[in-house]
Amino acid sequence: MPPGDGQPDSVQWEPVPGAPGAAFYPLIRKIDAVSSNSYLITTPDVIILIDPGGLPEQAAHLFGVIGMCQARDARPLIIFLTHAHTDHFVGIQADPACAHPDTLVFAVEQSGAYAIESGDTTVTQSDLMQAPFFPMKVHLHLFSRERAYPSEDMSFPNGARITITRDQTGAAGLPCERIVFGPGPALTVYHTPGHSPDSMCLQMGELLFTGDLLFAASPGIAGVTGWSQETLINSLGAVETLIANGGIRLVCPGHGRAIPAADALRMLPAVRADARNLVNIAEMEPDRAARTAAFAGDCMEQVNEIFTIMSGRLQYVSFILDELGESGIADKSSTLIRGDMIDELLEAFHNFAEEQRKGLDVPIHRVLKAGQVIAKLERTFNRDELPAIIDPSLVRRAGRLLSDYTTMLRGFTPPSECSDCDLNTLTESVVTGLSVPPITDDEVLSSADDDAAFSRILLARIGTPPLLADVEVTVLSEGDPLQVCIDREHFTDLLTYILEDLVGTGADRIEISTRHTGRNAIVTVAGNGPSPGALRERRTWRFLQGLAERTGGSLTFHDLEGNPQFEFIAPAV
Amino acid sequence: MDIKAANRDGNTILSVNGRIDTLTAPELEQAINTEIVRGNKKILLVFSGVSYISSGGLRVLLATAKKLKNPGDKFGICGLQPEVLKVFRLAGFTSIFSIYPSEGEALATW
Repeated sequence: MPPGDGQPDSVQWEPVPGAPGAAFYPLIRKIDAVSSNSYLITTPDVIILIDPGGLPEQAAHLFGVIGMCQARDARPLIIFLTHAHTDHFVGIQADPACAHPDTLVFAVEQSGAYAIESGDTTVTQSDLMQAPFFPMKVHLHLFSRERAYPSEDMSFPNGARITITRDQTGAAGLPCERIVFGPGPALTVYHTPGHSPDSMCLQMGELLFTGDLLFAASPGIAGVTGWSQETLINSLGAVETLIANGGIRLVCPGHGRAIPAADALRMLPAVRADARNLVNIAEMEPDRAARTAAFAGDCMEQVNEIFTIMSGRLQYVSFILDELGESGIADKSSTLIRGDMIDELLEAFHNFAEEQRKGLDVPIHRVLKAGQVIAKLERTFNRDELPAIIDPSLVRRAGRLLSDYTTMLRGFTPPSECSDCDLNTLTESVVTGLSVPPITDDEVLSSADDDAAFSRILLARIGTPPLLADVEVTVLSEGDPLQVCIDREHFTDLLTYILEDLVGTGADRIEISTRHTGRNAIVTVAGNGPSPGALRERRTWRFLQGLAERTGGSLTFHDLEGNPQFEFIAPAV
Repeated sequence: MDIKAANRDGNTILSVNGRIDTLTAPELEQAINTEIVRGNKKILLVFSGVSYISSGGLRVLLATAKKLKNPGDKFGICGLQPEVLKVFRLAGFTSIFSIYPSEGEALATW
């Protein structure tokens, strides 16, 4: 999720459709992981605040509005939480009103209420979000197993009086409680666990407040402590039925803009399908968040470089074609990558990471921000057509960087498919692929009579100069096959990254050798250039080491009298 | 980003410090265009203080190369840090621009 700027994006009073006498004040924030949206509702009987959010200034703003409402017509205030995650409530704890707990009535599903009352830092995500909170009294435990039914009258220290009735099956099969505050409109709460055990949706008139239900299958959010695939799928299906039954006009989520019911009905099956695919995902707890955040930083470093190179390569192609008087062909190629959008996204992540470094560095925030940037980057380049113009290896590795991060963010391990192969043959094949132009002179000449073919071949010829074309490369290998069990595609990527690093920083002589030592097979890559980027930039080195591990081996580096030398080591079979 | 302009023997030297990104690329473009409008068409960019260049920055350089291609014009870049040199090489830019190790070596050939 992108960082919010702390400012509400939308605030104004509107009538609640289907609830005569009720009005609501949606405080919609720019989406982030720090604080949720908040919704204020007034009826002739009560003031309801749904999710005060995670920021003190947000809570202060809301209390200012509540104060004005009270001044016009004094009514009790009841604060409902869609669930007890800190980004939905912790902001209120800085408000002076919290010093007088009996003036505030909190209403939370029972398990969430226990977590807040006991100061549970795991269930509330206080640990994960690094958002400390102090235990608070929750006056109204919703879906309490101890409640007397079919109805119960309750009164609270702030003067609120409610009647609560429960329907065990409820609309669409969801457990629900109906809360009546007086003669005015009532509130219906539905228990919709999945994102967390205590998650609820709330309905007032034709508005449905859904908390984090709609994002519960999103990368980085699925798998948070308390998340449950099975109950989430059930809740999503039941809410879909609830909306499909009619009577709901607008869905108000915990983050992001309100969604018309018809759009929500289109979204819910897709979210449910996503949730079904999330089998055995890892829990997103603080340790995994820290590991994922480190991978995010390493990955974004490479993403930054590779996307700038791809974009630059297309500009280069365009420039050369322009020089050749073929600007028409150049125009077609320039639509295949959105350089301006890529720059903006990479810049946004850079600025975000810099802010994090200066302030409170919360790994999960970096994890989610990287996830958001990467999801958008997926839409900035045409991975089907670009390989016809620029080095397919660049496009393939760019795509793999994005998908590996998304895979990890979703709680899975990036795929690694090891199989037996001859390291000598594979190494030679990679080097050959990086040395020979993909388009031969004969192909250029034979296309001269066909405009379309000539355009295509000219683009590819200009855009894919071999990396090693101007480099003196020596490949030395022992005669016998060197059998290893590795992931070939990852090895190809690893060797390409290393060679790019050496060539890019100035090496014009590279020696690649393979040998068998004891139980290991070793590939050595040595260049004559200056210190490569992998050593200057810690994150690049860590990324390459991670890639070597996913390949099925390990990577070391030696400085031989000022000349860099990489060694990839894999167990021989 | 910070740009300092100097004139040495009729050559315009623009020393750039900082990141050339979405926000700062237009500043660089403006600084270059200002010199061209003034009739200074021998421009050397000193990039020893540039740690990062975005695709927007690359675009500015290509646009400059197009403007300074008449006989007598000069356009070159020197002092590239390894990270930036790598992007230049792999994007193909080293075959478009004259790249020099240092300001002195650039001006010696102009």
